[in-house]
Amino acid sequence: MSSDYYTSFILPYSGIIIKICRAYTDTQEGFEDYYQEVCLQIWKSKDNFKEDSKWSTWIYRLTLNVCLTLLKKKKNNKQHQVSEELLPDTSEETKAFSDESLNQLYEAIRQLSEIDRGVILLYLEEKSYQEIAEIIGTNPNNIGVRIKRIKERLKKLLIKNN
Amino acid sequence: MEKSIETIWKEGFLKNNALIAPKVNNIYNKKSIDIVEKFKRMYRINIIAIFLFAFILLPITMVTDMVYMGIPMFFLFMTIAYYAIKFKNKLEKINKNTNSYDYLKTFDNWTKEMRSFNMKLSRYLYPYVFLSMFAGFWLGGFGKPVQGDQFVTYLLGEFPNMIVVFGFPLMLLLVMLFIVVLLAIIGPKIGEWDLKIGYGRILKRLDSLLIDMEELRTSH
Repeated sequence: MSSDYYTSFILPYSGIIIKICRAYTDTQEGFEDYYQEVCLQIWKSKDNFKEDSKWSTWIYRLTLNVCLTLLKKKKNNKQHQVSEELLPDTSEETKAFSDESLNQLYEAIRQLSEIDRGVILLYLEEKSYQEIAEIIGTNPNNIGVRIKRIKERLKKLLIKNN
Repeated sequence: MEKSIETIWKEGFLKNNALIAPKVNNIYNKKSIDIVEKFKRMYRINIIAIFLFAFILLPITMVTDMVYMGIPMFFLFMTIAYYAIKFKNKLEKINKNTNSYDYLKTFDNWTKEMRSFNMKLSRYLYPYVFLSMFAGFWLGGFGKPVQGDQFVTYLLGEFPNMIVVFGFPLMLLLVMLFIVVLLAIIGPKIGEWDLKIGYGRILKRLDSLLIDMEELRTSH
């Protein structure tokens, strides 16, 4: 990946990638791994981008897919490495943002199911129900109900975590 | 009043340092280390398995009166383990302090050397295994009557005109010769196939990683 490509096509959208990667990782090291992998996959899959959707929408979709794949891999690895599972996790949970409320919100988001995390992130990014459904690959009809349910759960989690 | 999650989201990201992208450099560093370390682990396990198998097989062949198979097989496994350890030591010497491309390229050269050696060895290995097995079945246990002689006596009773050369039926010798030659010819293929079963996925990942890295280097 050339630095020109990164600066022109990825860096302007790094905010999207950061926001999503943070929701699927709880350490700085994990976050940086996910971020790098997403950048790499964007570069590798750039020829698959079709003009019928926006570049940003495509990045949302790809970032979510990469995060879900990496999370799945991580889970599989943990299942194989039983002995490692018994060891205490030495990596410290990261306070990723200077805003404490935002950190708490992310902590709550990370307690949601993998798909619900994607849905709420897209909602918070003010994507339409149609776009959310398109990115997640689901029916737009029940997105509204789903978001309402996720928000209620998030509120409960925020109260519980506090 | 408590803030809504929408407000927390908006206000949180208004702060200057909220969305600083991490540096994207040495992107393949971790992947390269992971792939080589995984290979090393598998290779180590393989060597241990060869030793274990050799030491388990020998007493089993003694008990089952096939010691003439057990002994040559034991030496065969020891020879394989010896070369595998030599290759392992070479692998450990690969310089980690270079960039990830050079590191992976050196590792790739190592795998090529190992694969080429494996193919050469396989040309002799499979015929040797076949002959050892034949010796085990033919000669039987230590200090016991040779099973093959009893078999030849039985055959001569059934086919009195059968040609016998150095105590072996000629037909049997010809069949054995055919099998040995066949195994010597297809041995390298079997060896490569065997290697693919064990390390195929990791070697495929290595190839695709190197292709990516080479593309990345040319795009700079």
